[in-house]
Amino acid sequence: MPGNSCPVRLKINPPVTIPAVNGRVGKETSTPVTSPAPTRPSLPLRGRVFRAVSLAPEAPLADWLALLDAALKRSATLFDDRAVILDVAGLKAAPSELESLIAELSARKLRILGIEGADAPLPALLPPRLVGGRPAGDAFEAPAFEEEKPGVSSLTIEGSVRSGQSIVHREGDVTVMGSVSSGAEILAGGSIHVYGALRGRAIAGAARNPRARIYCRKFEPELLGIDRLVRTAEDMGTHLRGQAVQIWNDGGAIRIAALG
Amino acid sequence: MAKVLCVTSGKGGVGKTTTTAALGAALAQAGEKVCVVDFDVGLRNLDLIMGAERRVVYDLINVTNGDAKLPQALIRDKRLENLSLLPASQTRDKDALTDEGVERVMGELREKFDWIVCDSPAGIERGAQLAMRHADVAVVVTNPEVSSVRDSDRIIGLLDSKTVRAERGDSIEKHLILTRFDPARADRGDMLKVDDVLEILSIPLLAIIPESLEVLRASNVGCPVTLNNPLCAPSRAYIDAVRRLKGETVPMAIPSDRKSLINKLFTRRAA
Amino acid sequence: MSVLTFLKPRGSGSVARERLQLILAHERVENGRPDLIITLREEILNVIAKHVTVERDKVQIKLDRGEGVSTLGVDIEFPVDAVLNQKPKAKRASA
Repeated sequence: MPGNSCPVRLKINPPVTIPAVNGRVGKETSTPVTSPAPTRPSLPLRGRVFRAVSLAPEAPLADWLALLDAALKRSATLFDDRAVILDVAGLKAAPSELESLIAELSARKLRILGIEGADAPLPALLPPRLVGGRPAGDAFEAPAFEEEKPGVSSLTIEGSVRSGQSIVHREGDVTVMGSVSSGAEILAGGSIHVYGALRGRAIAGAARNPRARIYCRKFEPELLGIDRLVRTAEDMGTHLRGQAVQIWNDGGAIRIAALG
Repeated sequence: MAKVLCVTSGKGGVGKTTTTAALGAALAQAGEKVCVVDFDVGLRNLDLIMGAERRVVYDLINVTNGDAKLPQALIRDKRLENLSLLPASQTRDKDALTDEGVERVMGELREKFDWIVCDSPAGIERGAQLAMRHADVAVVVTNPEVSSVRDSDRIIGLLDSKTVRAERGDSIEKHLILTRFDPARADRGDMLKVDDVLEILSIPLLAIIPESLEVLRASNVGCPVTLNNPLCAPSRAYIDAVRRLKGETVPMAIPSDRKSLINKLFTRRAA
Repeated sequence: MSVLTFLKPRGSGSVARERLQLILAHERVENGRPDLIITLREEILNVIAKHVTVERDKVQIKLDRGEGVSTLGVDIEFPVDAVLNQKPKAKRASA
């Protein structure tokens, strides 16, 4: 061994008697807690974080208010009971203009929680100033101001959809190259095509599309639906089980037929 | 390059801990440096099956918390010198096991061992997710029984989404071990067929472990079955599994009914 | 009972029973005093550090729960010059 290391081995080995009791230990021992020093009562103040929707109006205000009205017409309850922040960074408005904007929003039943993007302190009558906002994903699904109809697209899944997984695609068809396991679910705005076994739940035509269909190579589902019409496995009978089938809505009734 | 192997199932009681011990011991007997890790929180099983229950001082949470260093917590197996155990904590709750702590410990384990075999608890909650998180290879233990198969399917879905590899866009190697296989029941048609399970789960088959008294005997005496009786049917199946994990092609032996003399003479081979 | 059963070694079931009785007896007691071993270790290390410089990694604590008693083994390795150059008492801070 190198150097002057001639290790001394100290072995301390008294048997520490921990008696083997047959019954359970009586009381639980607990570590003593020192009592805290008494303090004067004080007002508790806490920091809290909330998510809110941020509206960012742009000049000219009249046009922006028209856009807002259009969105409210499509969905009257869009801002009901929601925390709405007004982001005025793009406006460079004087406090009086802000006051009339807030009034316009109140008339439309929008309650503004706070104002961000204002570079000067605001008069006391306006909602308070907020700083340090961060993006936080969707507070809710962003309303599509531009188009009436969302774009149509189809979703392809290359593997299988496993138990517990949920695929929601309202914008169009869903194609699964593998199987859909028992306990998995697919909700499509359009049709559903399963190139393996369908053992889970499939609802097609969820975007008010009663002409959507469901196709699969092996029919063993738990639940099916076209538009708002839904059937469970029990209602469907067993004669087509295990076969390649297509399922559609025929004037209010769900029909199943073998694929040729 | 160290490999992290996660033994998981979703369903409880299907043979994860038995499989962890058996594969770990077989890998060690094949010359690899192996550590088996118990990822349960609050219940401790792997130490009993390994026969180390009397020597547990520190556990995984002590190491992730910094109360103890990894070498202090590792328990060397008395029979195989390149096999060690990192036991689970019996006294903490599930939130005590942190992501950062586990990541750090897994990094340290990768430096010391060739294979790290993680015994997952049942379920899909924290312990199970942490056990699979850093895996390179997953072994999904399934009984030929409906709820086990469905739970395994759920777990496979999680393997494809909740692991570091999946989040990176890499794939994680997944294998199926079918346990508690009863040849007599299979012959009578009273049991889900191997092919049915494979078709539903769609992952490659690593081994079929027959139902056997030897597994119970091994756990009674606190020794992994592959070490306690390497010649019995389950051990041979686990040893073949290890050979496959290491890259060898081994023909799959489907366990047959012992009572049949003809079957004793010929082992049926399936690709 | 046949001669063979008589001569057979003890079944694994009784081994299991003994192991369980032993470990559960210890665990029932230890659950009333969590982290006892950890506390003992830290305090032993502190006592030793008061007199001699020793690396924490060179102190191994092993436990073996046995019939009616547990054996706590403390294994400390420190080089000979550490013994010769003991720390003067004045410098040591209390634990």
